[in-house]
Amino acid sequence: MIRESAIDVMRREMQVVRRETAPDRQDCAVEKGSYSIDRENFFLHADCGLKISYRKGSGVSIQYGENTTALDERLFIDGTTYAAVASINGFFPVHASAVAVEDRVFAFTAESGAGKSTLVAELARQGLPMFCDDSLVLDLRDEDCILALPGNKQLKLWPDALALTGAAPQGLVWEGEDKRYAEPSGEMDRRTLPLAELCFLEEGEPAAIEPVIGANRLRLFQDMDYVTDIYMGASELDGHEQFRLMARLARDLKITRFIRPRDASRFRADAEIMVRHIFSYGKTGS
Amino acid sequence: MTTAIIKCPDRYIDTTIDDEIVLLALDSADFFSLTGTSISIWQLIDGSRTRAEITSAVAAEYGVAASEIESEVAEFIDQLVEGGFARNA
Repeated sequence: MIRESAIDVMRREMQVVRRETAPDRQDCAVEKGSYSIDRENFFLHADCGLKISYRKGSGVSIQYGENTTALDERLFIDGTTYAAVASINGFFPVHASAVAVEDRVFAFTAESGAGKSTLVAELARQGLPMFCDDSLVLDLRDEDCILALPGNKQLKLWPDALALTGAAPQGLVWEGEDKRYAEPSGEMDRRTLPLAELCFLEEGEPAAIEPVIGANRLRLFQDMDYVTDIYMGASELDGHEQFRLMARLARDLKITRFIRPRDASRFRADAEIMVRHIFSYGKTGS
Repeated sequence: MTTAIIKCPDRYIDTTIDDEIVLLALDSADFFSLTGTSISIWQLIDGSRTRAEITSAVAAEYGVAASEIESEVAEFIDQLVEGGFARNA
């Protein structure tokens, strides 16, 4: 039997319908600024009044509130909703940006504001095709390979990062803030590809890339943020199953730390360290 | 010290990552990493060996006198017992 590809599942499940009446499920009880999720359903009630409802197999429906704008819709559909729909359908979202080189994906994860998007924009400028920004969805159905789905979100950058990376600014992400959607100055790769490496971005000196080994891999996964919470909410895994999942990721992925200062004057030179590291993949055994 | 030590597999789950054995305590959700000599000790806990026999086996494996490592092995086994990963048989 032929299995439906992960990207086809996501395209089907992410069909969005706008409606005028409120969702009629008990999910409506979710307070503003929060969401609920289980194995079949997701409901989000944003501060702007936007309500997003998803039921597995039935697509996504949205209802605007009085203060909702099209920018809000885009952010919440591409962000939390996409991660929730992925999770409910068995895929694992990671808060990461990534590039693709030689048919493999190299992903960077960190807290918001740590420089994930700026780094992939710079890597794109240096010739490494961008794969995704801010959220990376993994297909873990194959025991022998962890596949990464191409990004669903457009790159978003602050003005200083636009200047650093040469990305082309487009529309505002949010009214009243300077962060903008952007086109990277290099290519995009839109294929589903194996994930080769997950790199945790950290601030420090001197700039270096270090392998993470043993139980420290698990510790890093334990600290991963809200998208992991979304997955755990949707999958309803018990502690035993969560450990098995994290252990599999820790075992099967090459995991590194990229330690570098947040210094614009050294940014390009430090990014070049990452470029050399990626091109050495599989050649040095590192 | 003539009582055998046995693992408590209903209290933990384990996995191997690189050269480490990682134990997750199901009660607390804390996990512990075993490396080097502690892996040897862990693997020797089979429900039939006593502390003294485990110490002798580790001493033989590493080419040292049992008396040199006796206290360290005992301390580690005590930690395993306190953590709920092992008990007296």
